Amino acid sequence: MTIAPTSLSAHDVSRVYDGVAVVSGVSLDLQPGAITALLGGSGAGKSTLLRLLAGLEPVDTGKVCLGDVILSEPGHTRAPEKRRIGLIFQDFALFPHLTALQNVSFGLANLPKDEARSIAAQWLSRLGLGARSGAYPHELSGGEQQRVAIARALAPRPAAILMDEPFSGLDPSLRGTVREEALDAIRAAGVPALLVTHDPAEALESADHIAIMKSGRILQQGKAADVYLKPQGADIAAALGPVNRISGSDLPAGLLKQAIAPDAIVVIRPEGIIPDATSPVRATVVSSRLTGPMARLILNIDDLQVTSLVPRALALPAGSETGIQLDPELSFIFPSGDS
Amino acid sequence: MARVAPFRNLAIRASDGPAFLAGLVIAVPVAATLVAGLVFGGGEAWDHIRTTLLTGYFVGTIGTLALTALFILAFAVPAAWLVTMYRFPGRAIFEWLLILPLAAPGYVLAYAYGDLMGVGGPIQSALRAATGWRARDYWFPDIHSLPGLAFVLALTLYPYVYLTARAAFISQSVCSLEAARSLGASAARSFWRVALPAARPAIAAGLSLSLMEAAADYGAAEYLGVPTLTYGIVRAWTSFGEPATAARLALVLLSLVLSLVLFERWSRGRRGSEQSSRRWRAVARAPLSPLAAAGATMLCIAIFLIAFGLPVARLIWRSLETSETLAPIGPALMNTLILAGAGAALAFVLALVIALSQRAAGPLPRFARLAASSGYAIPGAVLAMGALVVLGLLPFTLTGASALIALAWVYASRFTAAGAEPMVAALDRAPASLSQAAGSLGASPLRRAREVDLPIALSGATAGALILFVESLKELPATLMLRPFNWDTLAVRANAYATDERLAAAALPALLITLAGLVPVIFLSWRLSRARPGAPE
Repeated sequence: MTIAPTSLSAHDVSRVYDGVAVVSGVSLDLQPGAITALLGGSGAGKSTLLRLLAGLEPVDTGKVCLGDVILSEPGHTRAPEKRRIGLIFQDFALFPHLTALQNVSFGLANLPKDEARSIAAQWLSRLGLGARSGAYPHELSGGEQQRVAIARALAPRPAAILMDEPFSGLDPSLRGTVREEALDAIRAAGVPALLVTHDPAEALESADHIAIMKSGRILQQGKAADVYLKPQGADIAAALGPVNRISGSDLPAGLLKQAIAPDAIVVIRPEGIIPDATSPVRATVVSSRLTGPMARLILNIDDLQVTSLVPRALALPAGSETGIQLDPELSFIFPSGDS
Repeated sequence: MARVAPFRNLAIRASDGPAFLAGLVIAVPVAATLVAGLVFGGGEAWDHIRTTLLTGYFVGTIGTLALTALFILAFAVPAAWLVTMYRFPGRAIFEWLLILPLAAPGYVLAYAYGDLMGVGGPIQSALRAATGWRARDYWFPDIHSLPGLAFVLALTLYPYVYLTARAAFISQSVCSLEAARSLGASAARSFWRVALPAARPAIAAGLSLSLMEAAADYGAAEYLGVPTLTYGIVRAWTSFGEPATAARLALVLLSLVLSLVLFERWSRGRRGSEQSSRRWRAVARAPLSPLAAAGATMLCIAIFLIAFGLPVARLIWRSLETSETLAPIGPALMNTLILAGAGAALAFVLALVIALSQRAAGPLPRFARLAASSGYAIPGAVLAMGALVVLGLLPFTLTGASALIALAWVYASRFTAAGAEPMVAALDRAPASLSQAAGSLGASPLRRAREVDLPIALSGATAGALILFVESLKELPATLMLRPFNWDTLAVRANAYATDERLAAAALPALLITLAGLVPVIFLSWRLSRARPGAPE
């Protein structure tokens, strides 16, 4: 049975617990073959939105659709087992009493046993676990467990894949490679995929689209580069990495080319503050610290302290003086009150 | 590097001496039974018992255990699943109410049911009044039978499985169930294929524990007239006066208990049951349809009433109705408190020594803990047998103080594990680095034990001490075998009245035992409801 991949979408969905809207009027469209990262802090409503899409909870308003088919609307929730939506959890949620192979076969119950086993074995070897198919979850490493969880979710050819912080339980040294392999396999499946994460670097590195969520609402969604380079508010810019936030009245003269209102907010990424000996805007280096490939400088400009991130070769010692300029692509001006 | 540790673990240190002594005190009775059973040759009555009674004892025990296991699973697992996973009226109350039957020992329930279901009891009387039948006109289930014994034992022992199953269902990763459903499994298939197998080791552990208790029962089997091995052991001593025969029978019973322990080990196997989850999310209890919710409530009410409400209400009724005053119970109550207090005190000291010794990994502390946990699996009648053998070798007669000391010894030998395990658990929860930190601050091992480990272990001691006291108070077969002449405890009194068919007189001591048993059960269920993972601190 092959079904043409179709999008999974939420239209104006809300979910209320005890009078508090945890998800409020959210619309989100997950396209086949693309990975969408849902990024936000804890309590933003990301996991709840995922559970609404999965059918683990009913919607209070709006609807969830797979293509033209309505999966959830108020008063009607198609059961999770009837949605063909694969789930991957932070804690892997492998069945402890089943081997890796049996875990992956679990979702293939409608196939003859032999066929299910052979499909499950194929998935395990595709994810590099061919030799571990007889192992129980507690005999597998964290990375192996996560790959079994991914194979298990993909084996039944789901119509969409939803991942809830799937890599945050992994050792940092492992995370990069497991993530790459996993997301390659998911992209190859050609179905809509949602990656819930609180890590902006992970969202930017892994996802094709990014949706930024805060207090139950989606603040902005779009292509990853667009959201990063054209944030529609100071909070959105801050959600994708550290920023310097300066009010218009505190801004040192000459730093920006254009004049701005004193109550406007200027948001500058640290890598957007560049040392330039020729610039008339002068700064003192308060501290200078190497943070891996980049150096972090704390600069003092007319009693205003800002953070700058520069390649190691451009780092200046503490106490020295330099001119600075701004990278216009990484500096954003928002009118007052627009956070 | 890996070679060094085992050698260090084999080291025997002088500081392990107290733990070794504690282990020895606990292990001697069972060791004595083993030796006596193997060496003494069975005695004169053995041939008689072997040819005429042994098969009956063996079949009676195996049959009772098998049927008890079935009843226990039927009561405990559905109740645990419903209470953990679903919302229905009364759920929060049933969660702990269903543990209460643990308070009443099997023999107490047997007396109550013997009274309730007898020809002259309220159930049959009501049936005859309603139908106009006479006593011979109809069939009625006979509680004085093997199924009756299994039923009664299951009623008091199912909470072991209920507790372990519930703990397993609570600690299962809810994500596993959600993953199962996202993979197309219905709620029913998720239960059978995911939740139940994951909980199986916990259920098997609870079941083997409860079957060990069932194998140790004497009072209910005697009263209901079912010949079992434990019944045979007590009878071999009290009727035939034959320690060698009793020891032989004890050997048979011991091998049965050992096979239960092996069953529990085997059921764990290689399969895992530990969740990969390090994150705990509260079980979002699903609502039930009105009909299903009513069914769930009715089921829980029925289990509680049958296992506890009805028999205890009957005992209360009988105690109030009877003309027997408190006076004859007074001395028995006093004796019970003295004996249970002495047994609990000795067991408590042994438990403390063993728990504190567990910080050091060595063969002697391991032996002591093993001895304690084996003692817990061994029926009181077997241990009493061992004490009798040892006393027979010493120049003591079984009278007065020496008998009481022997009884306290047997209680300690049987129950120390119940006190030691909560203390070990308390110590395990505290990181070993606490003691290491104290060491780095210059504290000697003795001071570390006294000022760091001891206060931590004592946080688990209240529960341990309570359990020790009540277990000692409920003990019947060993007490029957070892007590000094005319020294009756509540359990012995209740047993004596019941076997004389004076159920009204047996009601009050039985009720007092149950009330005493309620104290630690309520305490434990209160602690359990707080200690649940994810529960607010």
